[in-house]
Amino acid sequence: MDASLFTVQPAGPEPIYRQIVEQLRRLIAGGQLGAGDALPSVREVAGFHVINPMTVSRAYSLAEAEGLLERLRGKGMVVASTSRSSQSEASRLAMLEPSLQALVRQSRELELPAERVLRRLTTLLEDEP
Amino acid sequence: MNAVRQERDEAAIAPLAVRGLVHCYEGSEVLTGLDLAVQPGSVLGLIGRNGAGKSTLIRAMLGLLQPLSGTAFVFGEPALKLSDRSKQRLAYVPQQPEALAWLTAQQMLDYVGRFYPRWDRSFATRTLERWQIPPNKLLAKLSPGERQRVDLIRALASQPELLVLDEPAAALDPVARRELLREIALRAGESGTTVLFSTHIVSDLERVASDVAFLHQGKLLMQCTVDETKERYGRLWLPARISAAAPAQSLSKRRHDDGSLSLVVERDAQGQWPQAANQPGARVDALGLEDLFVEVAA
Repeated sequence: MDASLFTVQPAGPEPIYRQIVEQLRRLIAGGQLGAGDALPSVREVAGFHVINPMTVSRAYSLAEAEGLLERLRGKGMVVASTSRSSQSEASRLAMLEPSLQALVRQSRELELPAERVLRRLTTLLEDEP
Repeated sequence: MNAVRQERDEAAIAPLAVRGLVHCYEGSEVLTGLDLAVQPGSVLGLIGRNGAGKSTLIRAMLGLLQPLSGTAFVFGEPALKLSDRSKQRLAYVPQQPEALAWLTAQQMLDYVGRFYPRWDRSFATRTLERWQIPPNKLLAKLSPGERQRVDLIRALASQPELLVLDEPAAALDPVARRELLREIALRAGESGTTVLFSTHIVSDLERVASDVAFLHQGKLLMQCTVDETKERYGRLWLPARISAAAPAQSLSKRRHDDGSLSLVVERDAQGQWPQAANQPGARVDALGLEDLFVEVAA
């Protein structure tokens, strides 16, 4: 995997380190990154995206603390062997949190009763794709 | 023994620090009692509107002008009486370099290189070519942009511990600008170089800066890490009917034609937005640095 794995939007309202962690979560949950896959080095990511290496380190450390990555001697950061199975329902649900918050905000702005929104959401969720 | 202690002290000392800086031009105050310390290894981006006094602040920090009052320290030494040893450890690129105009770019780099113990000659040669500087033309005959590029090469080739750049982006095309930013970022991250740069291109700052300071009306606003500015500040919008609920404390306040209000607000120690944000109809938007800057400085 090289540094083009990530996309970085420096001007966005979300700090870059969080953009990277968020992408790692999605890539691992979605299976694009599998256990043992090596991550590009801090230097590679910083050089490629022209961002501060400390930002990349911070993202990797956070991902390590979350159990997404692990530090292997001589290999650098790799996707943790337990990362997929340890994805509890709660942590997968947490990934939806920002979208749910946005949905709640918009529903309030539109002054929609909660039950109508929930009913529609249930229909969408239960519908076969 | 002494050398060890000296090294340890140097590691702890902020490479740049000013206290109570006040300065005036023609009777109007440009800096109004300003404190700032740049920590070792940090990359501080200084933003402010044109004429906000960014260059004045930088020059005062380096002891290149004597402020009306206040103190400036470089590597812990009074900036106005800097030792040669400290001068070797820092590199400053002004907006309009004028020194040594009677030399060619190549001659100038060869000449000044001798004064720096860690001069990187091959970097200088390589970058001169990549940034398309005619090496044998007199500096006086180069365009202002080319002049500043040569000076940036000089500054980087000296491998300084402290790098101070005044609007470095102005002289570079987007490709060369990226290269410069990459140099800044990697040197700070890997060699622990401390960097201060002023810019009006906020996205440059967001890429490589670890810290940001807004210079506005002679004061520094929101001096914190770049990540913090994004997490700690937001724009609270209140429709007209509840605009009376606006918090007393805010960094900026704008009333719109329809009576609604936009305010830049800050999370409290518990991470909560001000009370008014919970009112029905109120909205808090996350802000990029540029939006934040415009809200506060407009």
